Parts: sequence; C-alpha cells; structure tokens
Amino acid sequence: MQIGRKILGASALALMAGTAWAEGELNALVWCDHTDPELIAPFEAKHNVKVNLREYEGTGAALALLEQSRPGDWDVLVVDGIDVFRAVEAGVLAPLPEGAVSTADYFPEVVMAENNTVDGVTYAVTEKFGYNTISYNSAKVDPADMESLSTVWSEKYDGRISIYDYYLPVMGLAAIAEGIATDAIGAGDLAKIDGVLSTMRSRAASVAGVVAAQTALATGEVDIVVGGGEWLTAVLASEQPELTWTIPKEGAVRWAQSIGVVEGASNPDLAVEFIKYITSPEGQARLATSSCFWGMPANAKAGDVLTDVQKDILRWDQQPDYLALTQLYPAPDADLDIEMQDLWLETLQQ
Amino acid sequence: MMRFLPWAYLIAAFVFIYLPVGVLVLFSFQEGSLPVPPFNGPSLQWYQTILGDEDLMAALRNSILVAFGSSAVAVALGFLAAYGLARHVLPGSALIRGLLIAPLTVSYLIVGLGLLIVLTRSGFGVSLWTAAIGHVVINLPLAFAIIYASMGAQQQNAERAARDLGASEPKVIVLVTIPMLLPSIAAAFFLSVTLSWDEFIISFLLTRFDVTLPVEIWSLLRSGLSPQLNAIGSFVFLISVAVVLLLELTIFRKGRQ
Amino acid sequence: MSKDQVRGWGFVTPALLWTIAFFIVPFVVMGAMSLASLEGRTLVWDLSLANYAKLLEKKYLWRAILVSLEITLTVTVISVVLAYPLAWIIAFRVSPRWQRLALLLAILPFWTSYVVRSYAWLLVLAREGVVNETLMWIGAIAEPITLANTRFATVTGFVHFFVMLLTLTIYANLIQLSPNYRRAAMDLGANAFQTFRHVILPLTLPGIVTGAFLTFVLCIGDYVTPQILGGNTELTVPQVIMVQLGRRADFPLASALAIVLMSIVALAYLLSARWLRLDRL
Repeated sequence: MQIGRKILGASALALMAGTAWAEGELNALVWCDHTDPELIAPFEAKHNVKVNLREYEGTGAALALLEQSRPGDWDVLVVDGIDVFRAVEAGVLAPLPEGAVSTADYFPEVVMAENNTVDGVTYAVTEKFGYNTISYNSAKVDPADMESLSTVWSEKYDGRISIYDYYLPVMGLAAIAEGIATDAIGAGDLAKIDGVLSTMRSRAASVAGVVAAQTALATGEVDIVVGGGEWLTAVLASEQPELTWTIPKEGAVRWAQSIGVVEGASNPDLAVEFIKYITSPEGQARLATSSCFWGMPANAKAGDVLTDVQKDILRWDQQPDYLALTQLYPAPDADLDIEMQDLWLETLQQ
Repeated sequence: MMRFLPWAYLIAAFVFIYLPVGVLVLFSFQEGSLPVPPFNGPSLQWYQTILGDEDLMAALRNSILVAFGSSAVAVALGFLAAYGLARHVLPGSALIRGLLIAPLTVSYLIVGLGLLIVLTRSGFGVSLWTAAIGHVVINLPLAFAIIYASMGAQQQNAERAARDLGASEPKVIVLVTIPMLLPSIAAAFFLSVTLSWDEFIISFLLTRFDVTLPVEIWSLLRSGLSPQLNAIGSFVFLISVAVVLLLELTIFRKGRQ
Repeated sequence: MSKDQVRGWGFVTPALLWTIAFFIVPFVVMGAMSLASLEGRTLVWDLSLANYAKLLEKKYLWRAILVSLEITLTVTVISVVLAYPLAWIIAFRVSPRWQRLALLLAILPFWTSYVVRSYAWLLVLAREGVVNETLMWIGAIAEPITLANTRFATVTGFVHFFVMLLTLTIYANLIQLSPNYRRAAMDLGANAFQTFRHVILPLTLPGIVTGAFLTFVLCIGDYVTPQILGGNTELTVPQVIMVQLGRRADFPLASALAIVLMSIVALAYLLSARWLRLDRL
C-alpha cells in the first residue's frame, strides 16, 4: 500500500508538472527521432530544463495544432524542409536571430537556403536528411534489378513488394520514374503519376508503415520496400545483412527536416539554444543515430563524432553521389497537396 | 466420438485464444533485435530495456492514475444516478436512463473526436486531465448500468427499515446501500479500470506531453520493430493477470459465497 | 415538484451534467462542424452539405463505408458462431467446479494491451510465423501463404478479441437458464437439436443480440486493428477519419464521417432494439 501511495503521489506530481508552466521548460513539436533520451537528456542536464516533446504525422495537422494553440504553448517546431514556407505563411515560425546558427560546416546541398528562407529572412535550419528509395532483400531479389525503377515494380516481383505509407515520397518516386522532376509536379502530371501508382499498387502485397514494412522484410513477407531507405533497414542490418538499400539510376527522393522557433514562444532564448545544440556536431551525431530512425546529419562536422561503423551504415562516403542523384520531396501547394492525398487514398482503396 | 467433440472444440478455442499471447511472450525473451523466428533466447535484455525506459515508466504511472481516477469518478457518478433513479420517482426517468446509457452506443473514436473539437476550439487544449474526462464519459454508462441493475427490492427493504429507525438519507446510503451493493460497485469499478487502462484512441487524441501507456506503446510501434514491444506487452499482461487472479481469489470469491 | 423529486434530481444531476457537458455538447458541436468546410487551413462555417456530398463523390470515402460494413458484419457473425459453442461447453460440459476457471482462462488474454495484441497477430500470421510453419509442417500447404496485411488478418485480430467478449456475455446468459427448460423440452420428446432450436436459442437471443451489438459498435469504430493488421490494402472509416485528422486536420470531413459512422450504429441499434438489453448488461 505504501508503494501504491508513493506511485500515486509521484504520478500526481508528474501530472502537476506536466500542466503547470515552469520557466525551465521547452515545448517542442517534433518527429519521433527527437524523442530519444540519448539526444534530449544531455541538453536537459546542461540547461537544467525539461524538454516536453510531442510527435506529429503530417505538416497540415501540425500547422492546425499550432494555429489552435494558445500563444506560448510551443517553442520549437521540426518540420519537413520543403514545408517551411507553409509554416511561415501560416505565421507559426519566428525568424531565427541572425548569426545564431551557422551552416558553414553543412553539406552544401542540404543548407537549402531557398527552402529555409522567406523574403530574405531565415526561419529554420536543416538538421537531418536521407532518402526514400528502394530497400530490398539481396538474397531474394536480383540486385541488378533494383538499380532501375522500371524493373523494381515489374511483373517479376509481383506480390513481393510493400509500399511505404507516405504519399509524398512514393509519388515523388513515381514522378521520377516517369521523368517528371519532383519540384515540377503539377496538377496536370497527376494522371501519369496515378498510372505508375496503380501498377505499383497492383504488384504490392501491402502499403506499410515503418514497423509493418520492417516486419514484412524481416519475416520474408515481402522482399522489396518502395520508399524505403537507410532509415528503414539500418536497424535490421546488424542481424540480417542481406537487407539493404540502393538508389536506382533514375534517382530517388531526398527528405530533409528543418527546425525552427515557434512564433510567440514563451522561451525563445532556450529554443535557440536547443537549435544550436541540435545543429552542433554532438547533437547532430546523436540525432543521426536516434533510436527511432537513422539519417544523415546536415552538419558534416558530425563526421568527427560518429564512429566508423555508424558512418558505414549511413554510407557517409557515398553521399556526394547520392546527393547528386536524388531530388527533394515534392512540395505541392495546399490545393495540389489535397489532390495528391486524395489520389493516394484512392490508390490504397483500389 | 460425439463425446469428445466438445473437448476438441474447447482445446481448439484455447489454442486460438492463446496463440498471439504465446508468441508475444516467447519472443519477449528473444536474444537479438528481431522478434521473429528463429528463437535465440532466452534473454532478459528487453525487460531490462523497458524497465530502464523513463518515458515508458512515466506512461505506466499516468495510465494507473487515469484508470483509477476516472473509474472512481465514473463509479461515484454512476452510483448516485442509479440510486436517484431507483429510489425516487422522477418524470422522464426512461429518458434520463437512455441519456446516461447513450455513450455506450457510440464508438470511442467519436467520443474522442467530439471532445477534441470542443477542447481545441475553446482554446482549452488537451492534457492527461482531458483524457481522464473522456474515460469517465465512456465508463459512466457501464458503471451506471451495472449498479442500477443490481438495485433490487431487497436493498430497498433494508433501506426502509434503516430509515424507519431514524437514519438520515446520507447515513442510509453509506451504512446500508453501499455495503449491500458492494459486489456490483466493485465489479463496475474493476471493469472501468480495465477499459480505461487499455483504452487507446481517446487517450491518443486527448493527450499532449504526458501520455498513457497504450499511446506510448503506439509511438514505439510506429518507430520500429523490436522485441521491446513484446517485452512491454508481456509485462503488462503478466501484471494484469496477477491482479485479476488476486481479485478472483479474494474479493470476487468472497462475493460469491 | 415534490421533496422526493428534488432529492432524486440531486442524485441524478452530477452524472447527467457530465454526460451533457462532455458527450452531448461535443456531439452537437461535431454535427455542426460536419456542415463547415476547410478552405486552405481556414475553417468556414458555411452550413453546407459539401462534406456529405464528398462521401458520395470520392471513391475512397464511400468504399471505406462499405469496407467497414463488410468487415464488421463478417466479424460479428463469425464471433457469435465461434463463441456460442465455447460458452455452451463451458456452461454445460465443464463441471461447475472448473467453470469459473475455464471462463477466466477463456478471457484472460483480454488483459494484454490491445495495441500489442494486434501487433502479436502480425507476428503470428507472418510468412515465417507460427501459422504458416504449422500448416507447412502438417502438409496442408507447400509454400507459405500471405496472411498478414490482408483483410483476413484484420478479421482474425477482431474475432480473437470478440470471441472472448461474446463468450463472456453468452455464458452469463446460458448460466441463468434454469435446467428445467431443457428437461421439460426433453420430457416432451424434443431431441437435442429441437431443444436448442426452439427453447434455448430463443431464451438466449437477447444475450446474443446484446453481445453482437456491442461487437458491432466496438468493431466498426476501431482504428488500431485494421491499421496494424490490414496492411493498408483497404481503408476503413476510422482509418480515413484518422488520416483526415493526422495529415490535414480536416475536422469538418472527419466529423461528417463520424456522423455517418454514428448513423450506421444507430441503424444497427434500431434493427436489434427488440432484443437489446443494454441497461441489463
């Protein structure tokens, strides 16, 4: 009973702490890789603060959440690099103080100033990137077939494919297969993309989230995941080295996430400190190898902190080739975005 | 032959019922990072991982708090309403009963969505508290129905006798009604705790930073395949089973005799 | 109002207020929301039926309603058919001494976390999972078959849960039957089947219908099971609602879908109302 009371007491305290506004708290709306204690705890310890984290799924939902929150509810936002402008338009991001964060040591391709800057004002900074491409089981498929999108979802692999359940990268891959640049996708291209999606879908055994795709690969349910990449297979690689990934000759989609301070943050200075930490070599290395998913750090200096094994898994040395071969996520405007989502749902519901 | 058929069916049914649990528990002892055959254990590494995971343990505490707190409120409100309706003649009592039972016929998702809209529109925001409010909404009808169904003439006679002897209404309730209805109150409370403990969608929609265990498990599930999920699932299962058996051997056995 | 009534209201009011504030009001707001629409990210209260029109226009939306109905009806029927004999055997074949234990054992996996339970089925039904390995071992199949990430997997996950629930409710119903009914029917010359068909089944029908209705309500509104097990090869209404919320925050469309879901349940309620005993669970 004593223990029970202690647990209840402790929980009551935790509950109070969660709802009260303490000075030393940072509220961040993030992707799941930021929830790794290995990443967050050092920052909390150094600044003696508590970082509250909430994950979200799509940019649209995050923007709605921020717009409906009270001013000061949120301090930090992690968002798709290509969606920074939408967040700025919605008025939920504050300008980053000049000179607060340096991108001098970044891989030049991922500084993405044109994405993180609106009207000459910098609102966010890239923190991590990776690829949505083809993950596969090298023991069960012919690796040569994986080097071209045209042979990946061919008759040969009927029923052996799973498609990653996120519309932007997969539709980006479909566009690339059709020779349409991802940043040029317009409403007129949707018919072509739809054709590719239908073929892909008819060959696929499932359209899967992260765990379902990993389970399917690891148990031999499927041999190929369209839209996969290092973030999907890195955790499986140590036990099943035959699970690997490649970027086909047509190219693939590159994802990049940015981080910025929320407009009206109650703790803007701490928020900037947090962003400084995340973009520092140490923070970058931890973020790159976060338990939720791995990905390349934007800051090349993280290479001094990462171990050789980690860099191997991330394929550090192949990055120049990969960066050259890949295109950014499609960045549709609000109307096109809805059309693309509807098309995606129609494809699922086929 | 016909004599054995029922037993064969019973065994087949139990195999079906225990299949996922068996696989879950077995691979929670997996050595290595994939909960799929072949089995390389046994190892306790994943139990160590989950017990050392502060977020999971915080979620566990939150879940206990929400389950017990919301159930206590649901049972208290349900009992009062049942007492009021069973012992007092009220106009439109059928309508009131229908209103109180109504949430039972609505999906949890809809209860959660409705509350989410109201809470965000009104600028209230969501927290562990709002998830608990949602749990009271879904458990109140059950608590009410269970307690109302067990309010028979037998208790009424005892209450009348107590009142005739000069006891006030609060006294009658505390000293006569509640003790006599204790088995059904306990059953209602226990059922509420079970449902709240395992509820996902309302907690998912209505929490922010402090989440309940099912929500925490959901985010683990979204982030990657790992025997850690098996371990936390088995851990919760074993604890729940221990509690259920304990209750079965103590409270409910007594209730039956 | 009499003094008795005033007191009565005093007892009922807290529960009533709670239900009105946190259930009826949100429900009404949701209904109003379903008549609004989203332009960009701005909510427009234009009192139109546009969202409901979308449900008919967009294939993925009306298909979701059909998929949900199909899955739910399949699950309800299979669960009742599987649970009834199990409850019967426990009630009439297992000796009274062991009945409670048998029943408890039959519903114990209820207490595995529900999210984890679906995930466990994913492992069981996998290509190299227990089911495929067993079927290959007994020679029923030569090659592993695809079970996970299908409607079959979704239905299996659901049936597993609802067999436990229905076994409990049907057992509670069977055990209340006086053995005299069966004896009387037998004495009058009815065989076992006739006894079941004309005596036991009608007497247990309210229990079955109540259990089946609960199954229907819980199943049609569930998001987790189809999301984890269905492999997105088709989408149910709750999945589509969650997509609207999670990816584009389209509360109006989500509300319209919720209202439709509600109406289906209401229809099921009306169809089964004759036998339903919700206040006597």
